[in-house]
Amino acid sequence: MSKLINLTIDNQKIQAPEGANLLQVAKDNGIEIPHLCYHKKLTPTGACRLCVVKVEGMRGMVASCAIKAEEGMDVTAFDDELEEARKYLLDYLLSEHNEQYDGNYYDEFRDLKLRYGLDNPENRKFPSIWKELNYPVDDTSPVLRYDASKCIKCFRCIKACDEVQGKNVLSFAQRGITSYIIGGYDHWKESECDGCGECIQLCPTGAIVEKPHAKQINVENGIEKVRTTCPYCGVGCQLELWVQNGKIVRSNGVEDVSPNYGRLCVKGRFGYEYNQHKDRLTTPLIKKNGKFEEASWDEALDLIARKFKEIKEKHGPTALAGYSSAKTTNEDNYLFSKLVRIAFGSNNVDYCTRLCHASTVTAMLRSLGDGAGSNSIEDYENSDCMLFTGNNIIETHPVTATFVKTGKRKGGRIIIMDPKWTPLVKYADIWLQPKLGTDVALLNGMIRTIIHENLIDKDFIEKRVDGGMKSFKALSELTEQYTPDYVEKITGVPGELMQEAARIYAKAQKPLIATGMGFSQQVTGTHNVFSLINMCLITGQIGKEGAGLNPPRGQNNVQGASDVGASPFTYPGYIPVTDDENRQRVAKIWGVPYESLDGEKGLSTVEIMQAAYDGKVKGLYIMGENPMVTDPNLNHTLEAIKKLEFVVVQDIFHTETTPYADVILPAAGFAEKNGTVVNSDRRVLRMHPAVNPPGQARQDWEIITEVARRMDSSIGEYNDESEIWEELRKAAPIFTGINYKRLEEHGIQWPCPDENHPGTATLFLDKFNTPNGLGVLHPVHYAEQSEKANADFPFLLNSGRILYQYHSSTMSRRNDSLNEFANQAYVLMHEEDARKHQFMEGDKVKITSKRGELQTVIKVSNHVLRGELFMPFHYSEAPVNNLTRDELDPYSRIAPFKLSAVRVEKVR
Amino acid sequence: MIKETRITLKNIGKINPESIDDYIAVGGYQGLKKALTMEPFSVIDEMLEAGLRGRGGAGFSTGMKQKFTSKSCQECPQRYVVVNADEGEPGTFKDRVIMEQDPHLYLEGTIIAAYSIQATKGYIYLRGEYHDSILKTRKAIESAYERGFLGKNILGSGFDFDVEIRLGAGSYLCGEELTMLESLEGKRGNPRIKPPFPAEKGVFGAPTLVNNVETLANVPLIAKNGKEWYRQFGTERSAGTKIFTVSGQVNKPGHYEVEMGITLRQLINDLCGGMQDGKPFKAALLGGAAGTFVDQSMLDERMTYDNLTEKGATLGSGAVIVMAEKDSIYEVLHSCLRFFKHESCGKCVPCRVGTTQMVRDLIKLKNGVNDKKSLIEKLVKDSKMIASTSLCPLGQSPILPMESAARFFTDELVKEH
Ligand SMILES: Cc1cc2nc3c(=O)[nH]c(=O)nc-3n(C[C@H](O)[C@H](O)[C@H](O)COP(=O)(O)O)c2cc1C
Ligand code: SF4
Ligand code: SF4
Ligand code: SF4
Ligand code: FES
Repeated sequence: MSKLINLTIDNQKIQAPEGANLLQVAKDNGIEIPHLCYHKKLTPTGACRLCVVKVEGMRGMVASCAIKAEEGMDVTAFDDELEEARKYLLDYLLSEHNEQYDGNYYDEFRDLKLRYGLDNPENRKFPSIWKELNYPVDDTSPVLRYDASKCIKCFRCIKACDEVQGKNVLSFAQRGITSYIIGGYDHWKESECDGCGECIQLCPTGAIVEKPHAKQINVENGIEKVRTTCPYCGVGCQLELWVQNGKIVRSNGVEDVSPNYGRLCVKGRFGYEYNQHKDRLTTPLIKKNGKFEEASWDEALDLIARKFKEIKEKHGPTALAGYSSAKTTNEDNYLFSKLVRIAFGSNNVDYCTRLCHASTVTAMLRSLGDGAGSNSIEDYENSDCMLFTGNNIIETHPVTATFVKTGKRKGGRIIIMDPKWTPLVKYADIWLQPKLGTDVALLNGMIRTIIHENLIDKDFIEKRVDGGMKSFKALSELTEQYTPDYVEKITGVPGELMQEAARIYAKAQKPLIATGMGFSQQVTGTHNVFSLINMCLITGQIGKEGAGLNPPRGQNNVQGASDVGASPFTYPGYIPVTDDENRQRVAKIWGVPYESLDGEKGLSTVEIMQAAYDGKVKGLYIMGENPMVTDPNLNHTLEAIKKLEFVVVQDIFHTETTPYADVILPAAGFAEKNGTVVNSDRRVLRMHPAVNPPGQARQDWEIITEVARRMDSSIGEYNDESEIWEELRKAAPIFTGINYKRLEEHGIQWPCPDENHPGTATLFLDKFNTPNGLGVLHPVHYAEQSEKANADFPFLLNSGRILYQYHSSTMSRRNDSLNEFANQAYVLMHEEDARKHQFMEGDKVKITSKRGELQTVIKVSNHVLRGELFMPFHYSEAPVNNLTRDELDPYSRIAPFKLSAVRVEKVR
Repeated sequence: MIKETRITLKNIGKINPESIDDYIAVGGYQGLKKALTMEPFSVIDEMLEAGLRGRGGAGFSTGMKQKFTSKSCQECPQRYVVVNADEGEPGTFKDRVIMEQDPHLYLEGTIIAAYSIQATKGYIYLRGEYHDSILKTRKAIESAYERGFLGKNILGSGFDFDVEIRLGAGSYLCGEELTMLESLEGKRGNPRIKPPFPAEKGVFGAPTLVNNVETLANVPLIAKNGKEWYRQFGTERSAGTKIFTVSGQVNKPGHYEVEMGITLRQLINDLCGGMQDGKPFKAALLGGAAGTFVDQSMLDERMTYDNLTEKGATLGSGAVIVMAEKDSIYEVLHSCLRFFKHESCGKCVPCRVGTTQMVRDLIKLKNGVNDKKSLIEKLVKDSKMIASTSLCPLGQSPILPMESAARFFTDELVKEH
């Protein structure tokens, strides 16, 4: 806290933090000095001059947005002279301005015009000249439109793009009165603008506006605003949805609250359209004679209950399984897993986490005792070293990336470990580009460097690592063979670069690691993360504020689904299913006999499909998942799902999976949901319903309780979501102190043991969550990949995500705006490979692995290494997972999406 | 008869500007040698007590600026010197004369200034159209490196200093120091909010000394000959000499270095050979577009920073445009205002829109309005409003020609056309 000082503004005595912005201080104290170019998220610009004041001891008028509050300052904010000057300025500004107002936006300038009576032409001194100035309009962007005649040249958009989003897309063309904003060198469309819309949100006049619904919106007429959480990635951005006539027409970032402080990415701002898409499921459907027919809820639910009961009676509880969902709320997931545990009677419940970060979580649980990210998203802003391992953060967690870029601007260094180029490379100090599947060797090399250069934290090792220096010695011996030369031979990374990266990391004060799918989705996924944690532990770069290890989560509730127990291994709050005491405790909360709760681990996502293939699982309840795109080795999955006796899919759309369902249930979409989710930094966040579900679609939790009830097995009666939460926080100790009321304003990070606890920004400050509170080193060797390129399959294929699409794209691809940015599958191939094999940009190709094939088009790009390929996994017409393996990581059961040997052939 | 007092222009025409030996032969780099034997703060004191003031137009004490820059941000790892060689004021070409004909003089001044504030890096921000100045300066820098006047451990003193030329892209505003710093950082030429001043946070956030070429050309002379020697020229508060660049209706237009404090009449009659064809003097515009009109009542005022300011005029860059009876005040005023409209960067409202609206009103004045006198009053009022609210000094400039034209020539402006 900075010191408080005293000043007076218009004879009003005011206390303010020393050095605070004078205009802001006035504003905070109810003194509304007119202003247009100032915005508290941005550095002051001093362009509009409306905020002029007089300060005792300073000459003339000074812009209050450009000075700091100081002790004893005596400020005049309003007198005749100042008001005359402001009127003059507004008058000037109006003369170059197109005043047409269509109610599409809040117009701060128009408000001032009215405040100063300048809507009356008689009060004006200057003739309107904007028509002579030939201001252009740029509507080339897929998502926004810029009209220079409504632009007051306040710089807010430029600074929004630079300072807040770190993208530097905008600037002025020309100078003086004819100047106007341009994207890139000329047209927005050709610029690097990625459609985040920060500029729109901060534009005071509506000179930049969203294209969607622009014609319908009238801000003065019946707009309802509802705050909720973004349905896409795991940043958990807080949105304000604008609803007009029962339809969502706009989405803004909520200013001033974590985690996003008003920032959004293109998906958060423009990706809401799917929620009101005509393809939404609106009635239950039952498959009869191979065709889906509309059915009543009673019919559908009774059928489901009957079938599930039959299977259970005939084949036992473990013949049933459920896929829960990272796209639904904590309340939904909690009840779903409760359904599986009580009504199905097993622990066969899992969801897509097994496909993304299971290896990370497994390694973190074993070494640190907690699988969640140790830090807060804001910490990137103040970090001096950020290490990204297999993490395309700019595209997959775009808003977290804005904090990373701010950190970089403040002097933080960025190290990237990734075989494939990502947009972050532009900001990186060091890019280590190891060959696919060689990460452990690279990390062991870094660890050896750290040990040899004595950059370890001996004190930390002794106090906080299990076995202290003895364990360390084992690691040191194991890594000794990873000399820079040896590492270079395996990974292709120059030894010196690897050493430099190790030094920067080890010497940093507050280094953060963000690890992604590139690291986890490998056969050696758990080993990769073990080596990463080894490096953290020996340098003591975890367990202090601002430093640690974080796996940013892919979907808005991946974290929450695990937290609340949608897992074959753990109960709510990460308590193992095998923990008898806990099962006893939870049985009491649930009001069921303890003996009825299965104490054996259940099957995980991919195992469920394998068991289905083997005929062991017969009935499957899928809530909001699309395994027919996201599971590895799809041909195998297809066989498996076909063998199932009975499949229920509960979703908001038809998906690649619904054709294999026996019953399809229509569920509520994100904008219709009430409840909570948990983001990547363990922050519990509220969802609020903005619109009603279409047709007969129902809330997931309501459907789940109905299924249970009709299976004659109550999993509880709830009037609303808050009642579910109240029970959940009793079952999961990490949530004890969190209630809906506390979440109204801002989210709270778990663990939160009581209602006065502020939540936990950093994990492991005093101890790790392992049984003895100590971190555990797991020295691991590099192992060669079993899957290798060979004469038949000469390329190694990598897969991943892009900014504009999301997961299996059932949501994202139902947004015209997002599709305009990217709507075509492709495979990236290095220039030299393309030349050697005579492929050209745009060539149609067939890609084949041992497991299957697909067709797509070539993009020639040096963003991949020679011999390697990359494909986005979002597009069902080119399903990458036809090619991937389901050979699993032995520890975490994760599948190696990141590495498949393939061949590429031209198709005519 | 007043004569020129050439101290900064002493070598002009006498040495080969491309020969460092020529420069050394006439005593060049002795100021630097002497300065390097002194403590940096003593060098600053010398400048301060010599009374040297900035020749870029504002006339701020050079020693004071050095003092502020050397004292601010002690923990900053680097300090910079920026040479303002963007000479953009209409009618001004004094810096060009120095750069083309005696480039080592201001380069030496730059090195001494750098030493005084312990700057290790300098930029010469040179007007892009000044081809010859660029070539000569480039050559001078090369030779200075060869002789050890630049680079590491200059003349064995342990002091390191590197200098680099950056070219201006034809924007008048980039001659304004804070805008220049933006431009040096590779950004668009918009001014910064002041404070902080360059002395606190200049280029790349480091303390920076910005000086004009002519200012720096005086520095080696003071370093070499001492403050007493320097103070013998000029007046008590405006010490030294000033280069005037005279154009318009005089017999011998050109550049003249004279002691501070001579009168306009002396400049025109004694040095410029009087008015062309003996035409009567009507007016002069002192200081370029950002300058003031004067009429014959000012002919005998001493031209020092303070006296002219007191009398409502400016010395500015030293540009003097002399007008005779048939020259139109309106046209000159019009071109000044058009110039500002054209050069306004557009960042702040009053200057961006105000200059445009003023030009429109001025055209109205010509095309006929009923009440020309009130229109002129409005123009003065507008220019005042622009000056008091604009962000940078460019917006504070239109008032100079506008108000002075109205003061001396309202009758003509009303009558004409
Ligand atoms: C619009 C504008 C243009 C300027 N152009 C120049 C210029 O071309 N050369 C110059 O030396 N100073 C120019 N100045 C003055 C500089 O801002 C600054 O005062 C000067 O470089 C300081 O150096 P000095 O102290 O040696 O005079 C200009 C100022 C303004 C407001
Ligand atoms: S939409 Fe985002 S990226 Fe595009 S110009 Fe605006 S702020 Fe920049
Ligand atoms: S587009 Fe909007 S934010 Fe950008 S300069 Fe114009 S008015 Fe300001
Ligand atoms: S006064 Fe003129 S030149 Fe200076 S910032 Fe304002 S618009 Fe730009
Ligand atoms: S708000 Fe201060 S100048 Fe615009």
